[in-house]
Amino acid sequence: MKCEEVHHFIDTYLDGELDFARRVELEEHLAVCPSCRSLLEERQAFRAFFVAAVQEYKAPPQLEAKVLAAMRRVPTKEKFSLWRQPWIYATAVVVMSVCLALKILFPDAEKEFSRQAVLRHSSSLSTSHFVDVASPNPVIVKPWLTARLDFAPPLVGSPASGYSLVGGRVDVIKNRSVATLVYKHDQDVVSLFCWPPDKEHLSTSERSLDGYRVSTWSNAQCNYVLVSKLSNSALHDFMDSFRVRIQSGAYF
Amino acid sequence: MREQQGRFEELVLPHLDAAYRLARLLLKRDEDAQDVVQDAYIKALKGFERFRGGDARAWILMIVRNTAFTWLKKHYADRNVVPFDEAVHQPSTEESLSESAYEERSRQLREALARLPVEFREILVLRDVEGWSYKELASALHLPLGTVMSRLNRARLHLREEIAKVQPRES
Repeated sequence: MKCEEVHHFIDTYLDGELDFARRVELEEHLAVCPSCRSLLEERQAFRAFFVAAVQEYKAPPQLEAKVLAAMRRVPTKEKFSLWRQPWIYATAVVVMSVCLALKILFPDAEKEFSRQAVLRHSSSLSTSHFVDVASPNPVIVKPWLTARLDFAPPLVGSPASGYSLVGGRVDVIKNRSVATLVYKHDQDVVSLFCWPPDKEHLSTSERSLDGYRVSTWSNAQCNYVLVSKLSNSALHDFMDSFRVRIQSGAYF
Repeated sequence: MREQQGRFEELVLPHLDAAYRLARLLLKRDEDAQDVVQDAYIKALKGFERFRGGDARAWILMIVRNTAFTWLKKHYADRNVVPFDEAVHQPSTEESLSESAYEERSRQLREALARLPVEFREILVLRDVEGWSYKELASALHLPLGTVMSRLNRARLHLREEIAKVQPRES
C-alpha cells in the first residue's frame, strides 16, 4: 500500500471498519513508514481530544430532576383499549350473527320491489301500453282499479304542477297485485306503484336502476315506488308535492 | 404501570448525559437541548411498551435525535442558522479569565464543531463519541453505507479545516 492510499484509509482503519486484506496491507506499510506512523498517531490523538472536548457537555444538574418530574406527570393508567376487552369479541360474533340472520330472513326487500317496478315501467314504455284504464279523471280511474285489486288506492289527480294523470294499470310486483298510477309531464312518464303495507313498510330509498331513478317510501296507508327519468330536483319536487296532497287529504 | 415507569427510569435515565450531549450538539443551545431532552424522555416513556429490549442507550439517542430534528424544523427554517452558546457546564470558578491552553483548544474545537452543518455534527458524535458502527449508522440514519462513509470523510475534513482556521498546524 502506498502512502496516498494510507491517507485515504486511515480513518476507516481507526474506525475498525477496514476489511481484513487492506488492514494487513496498511499495517505492513505502517511498520516501515515513519511519516504514515506519525499521521496515524496524530489522527488518534485528535480523536481522543475530540471525544474529550465533546464530553465536556454534560447534563446540567437540574436536568435530571426536571426530566423525572416531567415523566412522573405522564399518566400511568394503562390506556383503555377496546381490543383488550375479551367480551368485545364475543359481542362482535353475536352482533354479526344477528345481522347475517336478518339479512337472510329479510333480504333487501325494497331493492327487489324497485327492480321489478323498473321492469314494469320500462315494459310499459316499450310496448307503449302505459295504462289499462286511460283517463285524467280520478273518479273514473279509482273504481276501475279498486274493482281489480284487493284495496282502494288513494288517487291524486294532479300531484304536482305540470303533471297530469294519464290513467292507471294493474301490475304484479313480487307476487303482489299493485296499483300503478301513470303521470305525464312534457315528455316524462312517471309510474307510481302503490299497495297496502301488508307485512312490512317499505323503507325509504333512492337509487338508479337501468337509467331510471327509483324512489321508495311508505306511509300508514301505502307502500310507494316511483319510477321515472326525472332529474333529481324534479323528482324531489314531485315527491314533496305528492306527499303534501296525501297528507292534506287532497286525493280521491 | 408504576412498575413500567420504574423499569424505564432504571434503563434509560443513566443515559441522560449522552442524551443531553447529542441534543446540545444538534441544537447548539443549552436551554433548547434541555427542552428537547425532556420531550424525548416523555416520548420514550409513552412508547416504552414498544421497546423490545436491546440497546436502551441507542434507543433513547434515536428518540432524542428525532425530537431534535423535529424541533429544528419547527423553530428554524434553515437548520444551520442556529445561534450557538458556548457555555459548558462547569463549576463557575473555572468559567472566567484564565483558561489553560488545553481548555482553550478544547473550546475552539467545540466552536469549530458548531460551525459544521448539522448532519456532519450528528454523524461525528454518533461515530466517534458513541462508537456506532457504519452499519448501525446506516440503519439509524436511513442512509446507504456508501453515504455514511463519504459523509464521515467530509465531516472529518471539514472539521480539520475549521480547526486549522484557529489552530494553525504546528508540524
